[in-house]
Amino acid sequence: MRGRPNLYTSYEAESQLMPTRTKKVVLGLFLVVAVLMPFDLPIIDQLPVVRFLGDNVWLRLVNRALCFMIAALGLNILSGLAGQISLGHTFFGGVGAYTAVLMGGKASSNLWGWGLPMWLWLPAAGVVAAAVGIAVAPAAVRVRGLYLGIVTLGLVFIGLHLSRVFPEIAGPGALGRKWPRMELRLWKEDEPFLDFSRDGHWLWFDINKNQKTYLFLLVVVIVMAWMAANLARSRTGRALQAIRDRDVAAEIMGVPEYRYKTTAFAISSFYAGIGGALFASLSVQLPPEQWSLIGAVTFIAALLIGGMGRVSGVLMGSFFVVTSHRFVEEIVDWMKHQAEEGGVFSGFFDFLISTGQGDGGFVSVMETALGYPLPVSALDEIIYGLLIIFFLLFEPLGLYGIWIKIRNYWKGWPFSY
Amino acid sequence: MVQPLALISLDVLDLCDSQSKTNGQTMALTDGETLVVEESSRAVTIAHQIRTMSLLRPEKVAMREKDFGIWQEYTWEKTWDLVHTAAHGLLALGVDVGDRVSIQSENRPEWLILDFATVAVRGITVGFYPTNPTAEVEYLLTDCGSILHLAEDQEQVDRVLEIDSSKIAGVRKILYCEPRGVQQYDDERLLAWDDFLAIGLEHRLAHEHAVEDRMDQAHVDDVMTLVYTSGTTGPPKGAMLTHANVAYCMSYFDDAGLRGGRAPSNDDVQVCYLPLCHVAERIFSTFHAAHIGLTLNFAESIDTVQENLREVQPTLFFAVPRIWEKLHAGVMIKGADASAFKRLWLGFGFFLAGVIGRDKVANGGLHTFRSRLLAAIGYPLVFRALKERLGLRRCWYAGSGAAPIAPEILEFFMGIGVPVYELYGMTENSAIATANFPGRLKLGTVGEPLGQNRPEFGFRIDEETGEIQVKHPGVFAGYWNKPEQTAETFTDDGWLMTGDVGEWVEGTHVRLVDRIKHIIITSGGKNISPSEIENSLKTSPYVKEAMVIGDRRKFLSALIGIELDTVGDWALRKNIPYTTYRDLSEKPEVLELIQGVIKETNEKFARVEEVKRFRMIPKELDHEDGELTATQKIKRSSMEEMFNELIEEMYV
Repeated sequence: MRGRPNLYTSYEAESQLMPTRTKKVVLGLFLVVAVLMPFDLPIIDQLPVVRFLGDNVWLRLVNRALCFMIAALGLNILSGLAGQISLGHTFFGGVGAYTAVLMGGKASSNLWGWGLPMWLWLPAAGVVAAAVGIAVAPAAVRVRGLYLGIVTLGLVFIGLHLSRVFPEIAGPGALGRKWPRMELRLWKEDEPFLDFSRDGHWLWFDINKNQKTYLFLLVVVIVMAWMAANLARSRTGRALQAIRDRDVAAEIMGVPEYRYKTTAFAISSFYAGIGGALFASLSVQLPPEQWSLIGAVTFIAALLIGGMGRVSGVLMGSFFVVTSHRFVEEIVDWMKHQAEEGGVFSGFFDFLISTGQGDGGFVSVMETALGYPLPVSALDEIIYGLLIIFFLLFEPLGLYGIWIKIRNYWKGWPFSY
Repeated sequence: MVQPLALISLDVLDLCDSQSKTNGQTMALTDGETLVVEESSRAVTIAHQIRTMSLLRPEKVAMREKDFGIWQEYTWEKTWDLVHTAAHGLLALGVDVGDRVSIQSENRPEWLILDFATVAVRGITVGFYPTNPTAEVEYLLTDCGSILHLAEDQEQVDRVLEIDSSKIAGVRKILYCEPRGVQQYDDERLLAWDDFLAIGLEHRLAHEHAVEDRMDQAHVDDVMTLVYTSGTTGPPKGAMLTHANVAYCMSYFDDAGLRGGRAPSNDDVQVCYLPLCHVAERIFSTFHAAHIGLTLNFAESIDTVQENLREVQPTLFFAVPRIWEKLHAGVMIKGADASAFKRLWLGFGFFLAGVIGRDKVANGGLHTFRSRLLAAIGYPLVFRALKERLGLRRCWYAGSGAAPIAPEILEFFMGIGVPVYELYGMTENSAIATANFPGRLKLGTVGEPLGQNRPEFGFRIDEETGEIQVKHPGVFAGYWNKPEQTAETFTDDGWLMTGDVGEWVEGTHVRLVDRIKHIIITSGGKNISPSEIENSLKTSPYVKEAMVIGDRRKFLSALIGIELDTVGDWALRKNIPYTTYRDLSEKPEVLELIQGVIKETNEKFARVEEVKRFRMIPKELDHEDGELTATQKIKRSSMEEMFNELIEEMYV
């Protein structure tokens, strides 16, 4: 029945991802904006937030956020859907990345590498990570809560240790080794037919490497997010949510806990592997320390800020976590200009910002050591920490929860319930 | 389910077209052969109409029933197939022409299927209220002499099994729909619905045309159904409605003039939620569905009506005043609970609705320039969302009937853009009497006599007694097995005495005064209509029940029952703690509140009609306890008996 969104005549209709036309239209518009964002366009350029993403510095950051999103989607399946804490998510990202470099990297006298093309190393990165996840699962499934956190934390250190044992894979010393580029070729030494990592010319347009990478990653993110959203409403997804809400009750209802927890680890690790491989490839060269505890905590922060269990929440949270420090820098920079150029509020900004040696203020725009006045990078971390505390205390559902509140306000219109 | 559709020969299809065109009375068909019979003997029954629908629009949805959160759909093809099989089941169980089949169930597809199947085999359907207690079920079963009874679930089955089986020896089988709890019962009469259909299918395969042959012999004067009247005075009486009565009633459905130039079509959607044994819901849902082919949606229960309305968003809606009042009170309470900004916004909406409502009411229910302008402003701001929440956003015609409704409520719904029209009718005249038409609405009246341009339609108000009398082909055939009472309801020249006192308003509209039997004559010799005073009291959202007393007494007094929801909400806001219903009604603050309501009412009436004293009814009135009829009307005699002490107290 058209125009009656609450009249469900089948379970399929009830669990549709895009039940209403409005939702489809909004998503479509959002995708159009997402695709056009990296380009210089006459009208869109005028929009304030959108325009600076055309800037290459920003675009590189956004690309990192996209890689981060893929891995975070995986953690969301494990933590948000199945309710299992993991502090070792970066470990699986690392497994994916080193699988990629082993398969796709170039060999030299002291480095291993098979030089295989991306259509092989990228899926393999996910599959190997998933396999490792399955291998680790038996240990992880037996413990719950905090203990599970400790077990997964152990994985991070095992990973770091292994990277030192196998310098042939991880590369020597603190520099790490070079990752294969994002380019599609048929076989090892063929000319790439699609290259996402060099400037080029598509159709009638000049397109730089960041824009290319952005588009490629965008496609991957859309596919992965779509799969994650679908998973949540499938039989597996329902089983995982049952385990999250009460594992004993789920088992009694006939949900095999062991099997589904293992599945959750496998899928989550698959996402982490893909995300890790792409991130490494994007970064060109990385030391093994990149796959550390800090990274794992950042994933959890993204989930908390965005909202556990929802794909859209994870995407928002990831974007926020990766790009927030740039926003802080931009704001501080803007305040500095205000303070220097004068104006109604210049005194206020001058009071806040320390523009150089001897100038008073809370925040320094100079690169200084940690202390007073604060360097921008420290300010960023403080804001970040405060945000996590804020969300845990006041908005446990994260950015998604805020959206829910806004939506419910209008859903109840003209009443409050 | 096996679907032996091939059994319906498809060359019936083109005949059906001609059948629907020739307006009824003469066509009957079997197997590609047309039987043209003389005028006014063979009936096109409601079962014929279902079959026609199944051939004209086999894939269209006829019914929806919510099951485990999903609205399960029945297409017309499936519906007729089930009706056909069930009819064979009835034949297999030996249901003969004129046998009674009784149904005690909430509204659900099986109700309709068995109803139509019974009509198809020329039986007589009898509906019981799901709330009828055991004693009444016993009375009804013996009175109508049912031979087959459908009891919905364990609760209803228990009622029948409780009755001494020798007293209802005629009941051969008791069908049940919900097997839970019933399966363990050891009683030969019990038969599950699915098994019943299986029997029917077997019979259908063996005797292909048995049902359709029987169906085509239906006579217009065959009794189709017994509708038991609610019986505010004596025990319920079964009014016999014939195929001719029903056909006459249905002939009004196509009359676009009654609904502002638009007739219901098969695109319309309805929610079926009032008891189907009552003539109003029967006409408004099942007769409409069969005749027009619209879609019926069964509400899960009376408690979920609001929610179901929101899901279904019906285009046609009929409700009794109680439901309209509840919808209105719901808006007011939720509005008062909303956040400050939303309250302000709603207040603005209510203000607009007030102006629009008054304008429309003054203009016979149609827009004026000003109200149209205000509605255009109010719709996107408030009314659209408000109507969506009420489930009436797509409703283009709504009716209110079966009891008087407060004009304020009608005005409110008119104002927000739900056109509600008050109708009047009764079981005995197939609910064909008067109605308010769009454009000629008059608030406080039940409208104009329906059959304005129909010579066969007679309507008059007796000059001496003021009683409304009607005469038309929809007038019933009499009460089942009660020739004396039947004779009492007709005048010497054959007019139906409705028992309602009415008066003309401006010569065109009819205003109902009261039931003849309820008129109070005070010891001073004054004739007073208690219902008018009671209805005025009940316009207050705090008063649920009111009964005015004063027959052969010095002055009028009243028993008042409060509305627990609204008074409870009011007490909460005033910080008045209470425990039970009784406790709340006896709070001094509540007495003061009710005193205010009574004072307000007294101002509207003459001195002799003033309510001098009142007492609170200490309990919520209930059908099971015998204080209300199944349609929630007060049974005066039993009330006077039960609360005798309270009443006498007032006259000390």
